[in-house]
Amino acid sequence: MALEMTGSYDIPVPREKVWEALNDPAILKRCIPGCEELERTGETELRALVVAKVGPVKAKFKGKVFLSELDPPSGYRISGEGDGGIAGFAKGGAKVELSETQAGTTLVYTAEAQIGGKLAQLGQRLVAGTAKKTADEFFKNFAEAVTGETHEGV
Amino acid sequence: MYAFDYQRPSFSQDAVSMMRSLEEPKLLAGGQTLLPTLKQRLAQPGTLVDLSRIPDLSGISVAGDVLRIGAMTRHAEVATSDLVHAHSPALAELAGMIGDPAVRNRGTIGGSLANNDPSADYPAAALALGATLVTDRRRLAASDFFRGLFETALEEDELILAVEFPKSGPAAYRKFRNPASRYAMAGVFVVRGADGVRVAVTGVGQEGVFRWKEAEAALTARFAPDALEGIALDPHTAMSDLHGDGAYRAQLTKVMARRAVEAIGG
Amino acid sequence: MNASVVTPIGAPVRRKEDHRFITGKGRYTDDLSRPGQAHAYFLRSPYAHARIRAIDTSAAIDMPGVVAVLTGKDLAQDGLGGLICGWMIHSKDGSPMNAGAHPALALDTVRYVGDHVAVIIAETLNAAKDAAAAVVVDYEILPAVADLAQAQAEGGPVIHDVAPRNTVFEWELGDKAGTEAAFARAAHVTAIDIVNNRLAPNPMEPRAAIGDYDAGDDAFTLWTTSQNPHVARLVLSAFVGLAPENKLRVIAPDVGGGFGSKIFIYAEETVCAWASKRVGRPVKWTCERGEAFLCDAHGRDHITRGELALDGEGRILGFRVKTTANMGAYLSTFSSCVPTYLYATLLSGQYAIPAIYCEVDAVYTNTAPVDAYRGAGRPEATFLVERIIDKAARELGMDPAEMRRRNFVTAFPHQTPVIMCYDAGDYGASLDKALALADYTGFPARKAEAERRGRLRGIGLSAYIEACGIAPSAAVGSLGAGVGLWESAEVRVNPTGNVEVLTGSHSHGQGHETTFAQLVSARLGIPIDQVSVVHGDTDKVQFGMGTYGSRSGAVGMSAIVKALDKVEAKAKKIAAHVLEASEGDIEFKDGRFTVAGTDRGLAFAEVALNAYVAHKFPTSEIEPGLKEGAFYDPSNFTFPAGCHVCELEVDPETGVTQIVNWVAVDDFGTVINPMIVEGQVHGGIAQGVGQALMERVAYDNDGQLVTGSYMDYQMPRAEDLPSFTLGLTETRCPSNPLGMKGCGEAGAIAAPPAVINALTDALGTQDISMPATPAKLWAVAQARVTRRAAE
Repeated sequence: MALEMTGSYDIPVPREKVWEALNDPAILKRCIPGCEELERTGETELRALVVAKVGPVKAKFKGKVFLSELDPPSGYRISGEGDGGIAGFAKGGAKVELSETQAGTTLVYTAEAQIGGKLAQLGQRLVAGTAKKTADEFFKNFAEAVTGETHEGV
Repeated sequence: MYAFDYQRPSFSQDAVSMMRSLEEPKLLAGGQTLLPTLKQRLAQPGTLVDLSRIPDLSGISVAGDVLRIGAMTRHAEVATSDLVHAHSPALAELAGMIGDPAVRNRGTIGGSLANNDPSADYPAAALALGATLVTDRRRLAASDFFRGLFETALEEDELILAVEFPKSGPAAYRKFRNPASRYAMAGVFVVRGADGVRVAVTGVGQEGVFRWKEAEAALTARFAPDALEGIALDPHTAMSDLHGDGAYRAQLTKVMARRAVEAIGG
Repeated sequence: MNASVVTPIGAPVRRKEDHRFITGKGRYTDDLSRPGQAHAYFLRSPYAHARIRAIDTSAAIDMPGVVAVLTGKDLAQDGLGGLICGWMIHSKDGSPMNAGAHPALALDTVRYVGDHVAVIIAETLNAAKDAAAAVVVDYEILPAVADLAQAQAEGGPVIHDVAPRNTVFEWELGDKAGTEAAFARAAHVTAIDIVNNRLAPNPMEPRAAIGDYDAGDDAFTLWTTSQNPHVARLVLSAFVGLAPENKLRVIAPDVGGGFGSKIFIYAEETVCAWASKRVGRPVKWTCERGEAFLCDAHGRDHITRGELALDGEGRILGFRVKTTANMGAYLSTFSSCVPTYLYATLLSGQYAIPAIYCEVDAVYTNTAPVDAYRGAGRPEATFLVERIIDKAARELGMDPAEMRRRNFVTAFPHQTPVIMCYDAGDYGASLDKALALADYTGFPARKAEAERRGRLRGIGLSAYIEACGIAPSAAVGSLGAGVGLWESAEVRVNPTGNVEVLTGSHSHGQGHETTFAQLVSARLGIPIDQVSVVHGDTDKVQFGMGTYGSRSGAVGMSAIVKALDKVEAKAKKIAAHVLEASEGDIEFKDGRFTVAGTDRGLAFAEVALNAYVAHKFPTSEIEPGLKEGAFYDPSNFTFPAGCHVCELEVDPETGVTQIVNWVAVDDFGTVINPMIVEGQVHGGIAQGVGQALMERVAYDNDGQLVTGSYMDYQMPRAEDLPSFTLGLTETRCPSNPLGMKGCGEAGAIAAPPAVINALTDALGTQDISMPATPAKLWAVAQARVTRRAAE
């Protein structure tokens, strides 16, 4: 089940700082909903453990996060894939673009998500809502985190 | 299912303390969502805390103008209760339209509200009737309770004890069932109250139950079926799946709202 | 009707088996347990197409309660062959179909979501499931194609190397040149594009199997949910190589519905049988509903363009058809014959069509295999024929009933241009009766009344024909079948005069225990409760081809009649000796053998006893005992036909369809038990309405099944259907002794076009596809409003 979502956030932080945060596993871990572990395993590759919770469903996904199309400080693509065992699998990614504004930075994302296996077979009615909610939460968390982080640093 | 431990407390405070002390506990109310999920191995709780034998949690009573329904009261009881019929006939009607007889004889009002499935029926009634959710530690207005897809204001260890419904003006619930699952594809609960009309919609919003403010304004101004003619729900805010896109759900919402108004008698 | 009476043919005898079923005493495969039995769980691919780089089972094997974890390598190591498709189809160019290998457990590639990767055998099902999560499969995900329309694209994913552009065969039937010529002189051409939606079979009882290997006898027993246990044994012996037939017993006990899906030889049943030897314990597997959606062979799934050439008076000159049929990821047991010889041979419908030409491309996709489902090919043909003739009538401004009548075959036998020779029928009679029962002439008034209520009312016809009684062996052999399609029966008369009938047919809801007994009761003049029907066990019944294609009456019962003829003949010889009369003077009527013109006679039971005590006849001339067997091979297909009328209303606000009236007039030839026939018609219509309005197996573009439960796959419910008005017309089938045609599939074949034709009538557009869901019809109704506003 493939879905596409878009959104944008205005972040009152300079673009360089936003870019740095986008590449900081600690920040990413805090922002990815349900992320329990996120470790860098290579220059552009991270290992992740995410617990996805939708209503009564609680599935643990082991997987990887990749950073690609790196174009500092204008953006990149962040993508991930996780194996949820009997629940199936989930894949997703987002093209993130940062542009400078007077107030700081505008972050625009175009995200896509795909699920397979049992989740796709049973959860058809909830896929779109959940994917949208997850993407929204991530970028909302991120915008808040990068704002808080930078202000703490000031 | 994965293996899990099982507890069946007799008192609600024991259930709450189990929720605090046990590893990965999960409350079992009617189980109509939880048990199929467990059977599919899509959740792995450490302990199921079964609420079915806590006497205080079920039962229906009226005190003054307030109808109180215990959290573990089954849909079938609500549907057939004389007290509910006398106090909030539309609520009884809604309960009788949930799922099928098997679901109605197992599912509970508290379980349904705590689960906050975006297509469940009770959230629409709670929101439209201005219900209050009584928990082990506080009273929550329905308008503060529902927080999006399957999310509520409940804390992890918080237990709904009862739901209180104030006496309302005339009300009606009309539902278009998903042809396959019989969940609401558009369920609209309309209340014509002294302080205005309330319209709560389930099965449509991407973030679950919501109040359709435009319809409320139009119906408050003039309570008549054709008062809804000029307004429309934004199809982009409506859920879309293989049973119907946003435009179709927006249409169903309008039709169900109108039929509810007709049932009340505009 | 009381069970201890003689039951005539045509009596609505209550089903003997129902007491067992409704009191919970049925014996289904999952009800059975074998001592020491272990449980199997199949690890399935979550991907539609992937290469398996490695499977690491080591952690799973160490899990508590695990007996074994087996993969395709283990199967191959034991020398077992893959699953087969038993019907060879040749392409236009003469080349044989491109059949890819179909291992029961994947070797190096998985080709659909649900494909079998490994089997975990454990003490309990839960332990097996726990261990399944510990099997580590290293997949290399490959591009997948699930969309039938994209499957043959150049440069797309290739599912089997042997099938370029995923094309299994490019087949044709009919007279291409003659059809072209018909189009050249046509006054009018009607064209239609059709998607025949993919369906999940959904029998009430899911599939199940218990494999049990006896090391002492070096023999296997397989209990399984099969419609044709002997064919399962044959395939497992001769092709999979599990064991020789004399070392393999297949038992299909009570089976709760099949609709075709239990004809086929699947991976799970095969693996359970094999694994029971491998692990030295009985191995049981019961399919879960979710697995059934993934892995039971689906039905239908065609894309078709049809064109009808007509003269100035609405007479059909020619019919041209191009169909692409989805076979799924592998060729299931009888899949190749469904979109070919069970489909194109029915394209003449009830009509005299001088020239027909049909091309069918069968293609692989990364989806579950597709095979026969109630009607199998014939519903697809009927839907096309009945939709296009209806569309043609509307284009020509003709009444759809008149259009059909003008083109009916009226003289029999009638040789169609597509192999079939219709032997008997009266299509005008069933149309007339249906129109009368439906008050067709009163429809415009009802439509106007509905419009005043804001409802769009429509009426639709379906004049269907099917080929049943499958099938003459030599004929199907010449068309590519790997087996003959006769049936066998044995009638064992016991010394006290009661009877056991052993049949190669298999009952999984059809009521054979009643109708077959009813036939014997009527013929031998003994009460029906003195007749037992034995089926579904390869150790009891010598051989049989099973039940599908509405064949159990026309073929299975004909074999019983043939055996009964032999029983009667021998009994007459014995009676003649006992009564000291000449054999030619013995008459048999109402259960008594009498000497013509005298009052001397013997009851059937007395003759039976004499047959076994053998005191009063020379055993040098007549063998003792009374037991006869027969194999019956039909000389032709049978051709049930009829006319269904659907009347419905659409709520333009919600798109909801309410069927308000349904008339079915069927010609099934001789009817043995009208109550059971009505039940078959009711169920068939329900399934056909399901296809027309509700059911659809959907995959997304990645090949993920998105209708994997009843949350999303809509089945018809009682409230979706009206009370049916049923009528019968009767022309005897000339090719079998009882004159029967078969009734099991008629409803499912007739119903879909009746519904869609009624919807096109209600909504005033031909652009309505199946399933016509409320969302779809609302959009159509909206477009209608916009169109009218524009006009």
